[in-house]
Amino acid sequence: MRLLIVEDDAPLASGLRRILEAEGHAVDVTSRGEQAVLAASQERFDLVILDIGLPQMDGFEVLRRLRSSAAERAGQTPVLVLTARDAVDDRVHGLDLGADDYMVKPFAMPELTARVRALLRRSQAHGGPRIVHGPLTLDTVARRAFLRSEPLELAAREWAVLEVLLGKVEKIVSKESIIQAVAGWGDDLSPNAIEVYVSRLRSKLEPAGIRIRTVRGFGYMLEEFKGN
Amino acid sequence: MAARSLRAHLLRMLLPPIAALLVLGGLVAYYPAIEPATEAYDQALIDVGTSLGTYVRAGDAGYRLELPAAVDQVLRRDSYDTVYYRVLGPAGEHVAGDEGLPEPSDEPRDALVSYDASYKGQSVRLVAVPAHCGNATCRVLVAETTVKRKRLARDILFSTLLPGMLIAGATLVIVWFGVKRGLGPLARLSEEIKARSPGDLRPIDAAGAPEETQPLVGALNGLLGEVAQASRNQQRFLANAAHQLRTPLAGLQAHTELALAAPLPGPARAELEQVHQATIRTARLANQLLALARAEPGARGSAADVNLKTLAEGDADGWVHQALARDVDLGFELEGVHVQGDALLLREALANLVHNAIEYSQRGGHVTVRTGSRAGQPFAEVEDDGPGIPAAERERVLERFYRVPGTPGTGSGLGLAIVREIAVGHGAQVAIADGAGGRGCRATITFQL
Repeated sequence: MRLLIVEDDAPLASGLRRILEAEGHAVDVTSRGEQAVLAASQERFDLVILDIGLPQMDGFEVLRRLRSSAAERAGQTPVLVLTARDAVDDRVHGLDLGADDYMVKPFAMPELTARVRALLRRSQAHGGPRIVHGPLTLDTVARRAFLRSEPLELAAREWAVLEVLLGKVEKIVSKESIIQAVAGWGDDLSPNAIEVYVSRLRSKLEPAGIRIRTVRGFGYMLEEFKGN
Repeated sequence: MAARSLRAHLLRMLLPPIAALLVLGGLVAYYPAIEPATEAYDQALIDVGTSLGTYVRAGDAGYRLELPAAVDQVLRRDSYDTVYYRVLGPAGEHVAGDEGLPEPSDEPRDALVSYDASYKGQSVRLVAVPAHCGNATCRVLVAETTVKRKRLARDILFSTLLPGMLIAGATLVIVWFGVKRGLGPLARLSEEIKARSPGDLRPIDAAGAPEETQPLVGALNGLLGEVAQASRNQQRFLANAAHQLRTPLAGLQAHTELALAAPLPGPARAELEQVHQATIRTARLANQLLALARAEPGARGSAADVNLKTLAEGDADGWVHQALARDVDLGFELEGVHVQGDALLLREALANLVHNAIEYSQRGGHVTVRTGSRAGQPFAEVEDDGPGIPAAERERVLERFYRVPGTPGTGSGLGLAIVREIAVGHGAQVAIADGAGGRGCRATITFQL
């Protein structure tokens, strides 16, 4: 994937570049907002990591120009905002302007790489018929699942629950939101029923190293695939 | 130095002139009143003397007083005083009456004189009246004791002093209560200031204060404004400093993590691991200082409706990852409940409680986040089954930079202080108790409705 880092602090920018390059991405770095806007309008990036506290043209302005850009690709590129500020207004402002996620400095690198992966996956999933999670592949058009290339039998409800969880890897999905997403046809689903579906999914996926974590009293979280 | 009482001061200022005026007023009223009265009494004595004079006869054997007993009684009759008389011949020889009555000194024998003297151990008023006896002039002395004169003087004095004393008394009473009443607005002002929370630096409303206190209110408001400005400057500095720290810290953290990902000789890895831990601690400290700056009065955002359940759910992702990293089971028992407050600060408070609970839990421990209401009061709490906090330390752990002695880990001792500061700013209370079954620790923020 091709990533653009817009960060004026040289050590942080070089650290981010090396970490993301180690993840297998092609990374460009600029310290100037104007250059970022220009680059994004001329070339295609899969993700922009944007610092808010830039000299001259600040990150908000860069974000605004990207989002109002006539070039379609710049308008749709996911943006992960980095900020040293943390006032609520900053977050809301950034998300209002169309940032896809934000992180407050300083942050642990595993968290950054996880968010980057999530954003890239989401942008790939948009319109993409295939969802890939480690050894698991979901073909959403044919509604067929494969585990280690072997066909995987999933009941309709199990499929629906898994699809919800795959949409939010590493994030907690509450039982209520699963029920809302799954029980779309006026039928009555109890939280207990969701537990049954999750437990069936676990018995099918855990042998392949895919883990669904229970968050007591809240919901479930599909963990990042870390290998078997 | 004791505080000077305004009342005592006013009374000290007023009392001497009032006393002087009383005395002066008494004198001015007394003498004009006592003189005619004294003259009238003297005149009565003179009349007695004149009457006695008509009974003095000149005979061959000298002079004598031929006073019928009935007349004597009439002359001497007096309800209050004893009357004495004495008749002296032209040469000053005793003729009749009380022989000891003193004559006036150095006066011509035929002069009409009134004077004071002492007789039989009493003070007496005397008149010396000339009387015709044959061709010569005799002298009649009439004396009376001074009972009714003294009584008259007393009556006059009393009647002149009484109104003055009443007025003086009234003045003192008016001063006493008038000062209290006049200072009422100041008392109300101090009540208003006393009732304020320490962080309330808004100017005092000068509209209700009387004109005389306006300079005081103005000066107080000026001071409050300066304090508020200084507090804002300090917070801005602290926030800026913490913000400026964050970017280099992010770089430091990135590079140490990168270096740790590479193959390293054992000792170098151990050293770098220390650097990494220190970086994370410094980052957390910077965040906590920022949180403290934000929790300071004056820096708070405006209160809004906050659902504690939504608040906890919003941060649950991050907490779950923290808990997983330490192999702690993090659970939630959330009921929707609304409070008025600053969402960012309340999230910070809850995050600190969760962080502490996870940090001090052993592997395999359980941490539960709860929101809801008890006895009608909204609460948010975090319970763990870790080592707990000894009862004796529960107050102190809420102080800044205090850590329970012997606590493992590398906390700054700021977390719970931040929680308390935020809670106090929201009119809420922080309580630390045993966890379920007497194990671990349960920290609860309880809000007032």
